[in-house]
Parts: sequence; structure tokens; C-alpha cells
Amino acid sequence: MHGLFRWSSKWWPGIIPLAVLWAIAAWSNTTALETDLVTRSTAALKDAVLDKTQITVDGRDVTFAADAFSEEGRRGAVAAVEAVPGVRLVNDESRLVPEAKPFVWSAERDVVRVTLGGSAPLPTSKSKLMEAAHAALGNVEVADQMNLSRGAPPRFDDAALLLIGQIGKLKDGKITISDNTVNLSGMARDLGGREAIAESLKNLPEGFSVGSNDIKAPPYVFQAYKDPVAVTLTLTGYVPDDKVHAALVAAAGRKFFSEKVVDNLKASVGAPYGFAAAVGPALGALSRLSTGTLVVSDREVKLSGDAFYDAAAVQIRAGLGKGFPQGWQFKADISVKPAAAPVDPTVCQQLFSDLLGKGNIGFQSGQATIDPDSAGLLDRLTETALRCPTANIEVAGHTDADGEDSFNQALSEKRAQAVVDYLVKAGLPADRFTATGHGSTEPVASNDTDEGKAQNRRIEFVVK
Amino acid sequence: MTYLAMFHWDWLLGALVLGFMVGWIAVVHRGQGVSKVTARWLWVMVVALLAAALARVIPGRPGYWLDLALMMFASYLVGCTIGSWLRGWAISRHKPAV
Repeated sequence: MHGLFRWSSKWWPGIIPLAVLWAIAAWSNTTALETDLVTRSTAALKDAVLDKTQITVDGRDVTFAADAFSEEGRRGAVAAVEAVPGVRLVNDESRLVPEAKPFVWSAERDVVRVTLGGSAPLPTSKSKLMEAAHAALGNVEVADQMNLSRGAPPRFDDAALLLIGQIGKLKDGKITISDNTVNLSGMARDLGGREAIAESLKNLPEGFSVGSNDIKAPPYVFQAYKDPVAVTLTLTGYVPDDKVHAALVAAAGRKFFSEKVVDNLKASVGAPYGFAAAVGPALGALSRLSTGTLVVSDREVKLSGDAFYDAAAVQIRAGLGKGFPQGWQFKADISVKPAAAPVDPTVCQQLFSDLLGKGNIGFQSGQATIDPDSAGLLDRLTETALRCPTANIEVAGHTDADGEDSFNQALSEKRAQAVVDYLVKAGLPADRFTATGHGSTEPVASNDTDEGKAQNRRIEFVVK
Repeated sequence: MTYLAMFHWDWLLGALVLGFMVGWIAVVHRGQGVSKVTARWLWVMVVALLAAALARVIPGRPGYWLDLALMMFASYLVGCTIGSWLRGWAISRHKPAV
């Protein structure tokens, strides 16, 4: 041992080559060691819930910066880095993410994109919400403007996911969660969307409530277009249900005696109150136009087009809206069709026969009151009568064989007179018309069938 | 420590071999060694550096380099000890009995 002590005095010269060796080792290993420690530290934080994690290593000292979502999680992360073999010191620069009060999250939809904003509680929540938005919206761009914050209410993710499912039903608008309160505003994409969203809100997780739901339904639109060239009536838009649908199409068939009804209507919820009661008379007014468009948007009725003659235009303007339910508005933009060229009595008779061949003037059963559905036909007959100002016209009434002959005779006369009165009211001179009744004496079909009787109940125009 | 030893095993082995050679030569070297006073100062310096390393007062890379230097020095000393002891033992075996 003594020798060893003596010899040790001669070990010091080896320090110089040792220093050289150390310098080379330090030069070649420093970066490799630092890289290795970064890798190990990162691996140690694999399961930690952190945001904005930054690890820098200087020698064996690790500087650890991150946003943690709880104090416990933050301490655990620091301890995990400290436990990494080789780490000498940890400079802890981690912090808790700020607490949002109130905790507000929003999803906003505009024309081009959906923007998720406000606060999300965890990175996993954020990515889950983004994924759900992409899945719910298909090709619509989704912008992520969410920050991470503490203070989310329990079951926030479930509530936000439910609301993201609703954003697809909006044309535009904003859905906000503020602590436990959900607020919605905007316009539903389709009819029924507003109702579907309201229904979904019943499934909000426990603890959440709806503060305000200002989702508006898109306008409930019904349109009818009378095309005199194609001789069609095109119905588009919405009707409340199949029953109203069938009733409107049937009414259109009666009122538009010569036009083919093109039915493109769809049944949908969300119709304004009194829809059928307003649309029926409005269709009647449209039937009196030569060409025209009827647009019903929510409770607003707009009728535009050309009446056959001046008095008809005045009557339509004055009459539209009279039978409408309360709260409905109407706007009539009626002009008068330019008068057609006059024709001689022979052509006039032909025109009357053509019109009455396509449709029959209807009356209330057993009475001489003209069916409002016949207004369109009567206006066409009036227009024709205006085209032959020199002709005298006999308006002849006929009935079927039901009932007593005297009653039928009187009824046919009254009905013929009612038609003449209509023509006179339209501005035609009364002395050009003669009302005659023939009762059931001149049937054109068998009175044994309902169809035959319907044909026999008629008004004829005879040009003298 | 284990991590550092495993990471730098090759360099520590180098220091050990260097120490072994120096220790082997030191036994038969006829020149003067360092004086007791110098050796004492050198040991004081080593102890001071060791204390600094244990107290972790030198930050960053210099701190790491100090740790590495001390480990290599320790390895060197072990090599010296083994080398000198073996050489001393070998010489004593071949020395004829008086």
C-alpha cells in the first residue's frame, strides 16, 4: 500500500493525455447526449395530457415548458421528466392553462365555412370536436379557432358533440355554450330543420339548458305559375300535408279548366297558420289571369300578371285577401292584357263553343249562384264577348232531368240570368244579351247517369 | 451515474487503459514525481470540483463536461491503481531472494 502511495505521485503526468481524451469525448458526445435526453424526456411525457410541450436540453439539464390542465397533471409531468435517467436538473417552466370564466364554446356557420371557436377543455376534446364537425358537414370547410382552457362544465364534450350535429341543419347561424347554457341563433337550412333542432336539444346532457333558441325557419314558399303558351299551371314549393296537397291540386283542376296542372309540390312541416284557407282563394284569383304568378311566402301572398279586362283587374285587386285568415298580407300587381283583335260573330261563336267545350260554368247545387271556381272560365267568356261587339248573344241555361220541370225551368232561367249579370258587371252592355232557360228539355247526354246529368247541367252561348 | 457510465463506456475504458499504462510505468519510472505540496493542491482542486459537481452548481453543458471529467478521472485513477499494483506485484515475484 505504501508503494502505491509512492507511485501515485508519478500518476499526475497522465492527466495531460487524459485531458485531451476528455476534450475529445466532450466534443463528440455532447450533442448526442442532449438528443438522447430529449428523446427520453419526450417518451416519458407520452401519456401526460399537456399542450404546447417544449423540451430543450443543455448538457444534462432539461428545460420543460408546457401547458397543463390540472396541478396534479403538471406535477406528474415534471416528476416524469426528473425521473428520466441521465437528467441532472429540470428547469420547470410549465404552467396551468388559463381558466375560462364563463367557459364559452361556439360553432358558427356562414356561407363558406363552419368555425369552431371559444374554449375546449382538452386537446382530445378539441380533436374530437373537429372530427365530428368534418363528419357532420362533409365537404364544408371547418376552421379551428378553439383555445384550450380550464373550467369546462361536466359532460361538455357530449353537449358540444350534440350541437355540432345540429350545425349541419343550419344555413347560417351560431350555436354557443356558455357554462351550462346553450344559445342558438340563425336560419335553418330546410323546412323542418328548426323543429328537428328543437327536438335534438331535448337530448342535451344533464345539467345543460337552452337559454335562447332563435333559430328561424326558412320561408314557407308555395308558387303557382300560369303559362298561357304551354297551357299549364305549375305548382311548386311546399304544402303542409298530403290531404291539403290533394285538395289544392283538385281545386286547381277545377279553377284552371283548360290548363294542365304540373304538380311539383312537396309536403313539409312549418306551414303558417291558415295556409290552405289563403292559398285556395289566391289560386282562384290566379285562375282569372291570362298569365300570372302566385307566390306565397310565409304569410305574404303576391299575385302578379295580366287580367283579361279592366273590370276583372279591379275585382281581383279588391277581392284578393278578403277571405284570408288573420295576419296574412297580400300584394297584387295586376295589369290588363292588351285587348285582342275583334272577330266576326261566326268566329265568336266558335270561340264560345271551344271554351265551353273545355269547361262548364258551375253553380251551387239547386241554386243560381255561380261557383267561384268558374270565375276563370267566365272571364275568358267575357273577353271573347268583348271581341265581338256587334254580336247579340243568347245565354241559354239547361238542367238535368232531376226534380220537377217547372223548378228546372225556373232554375235554368235564373242561372242564365246570373251569367248575364256577370257579363254586364264586367262592363258589357246588357242589351246585347238575352237570358233564356230551357229546363231539362234539351239534354245532350243521358239523364240516367251522373256523368250524363253533369253534361246536361250547362250554360250555352249562342251568337245571334 | 449508471446512465452516464453506459453512455460513455468507451471513453471511460480509454481512461482506464490510459491510467493502467501510466500506473504500469510509474512503478519503474526513475524521475521525480510531483511534490507533496503540489499533489496536495491538486487533490484539493479535485475535491473542489467534485463538490461543485455534487452540488450541481455549474449549469448546462459545463456542468455535464465537469461530470464527464470527474468520471474519466476516477476511471483513470482505477487504471493507475491496477497498473501500478500489478507492476509492483510482478517485480516483487521476479526479485531474487536475498
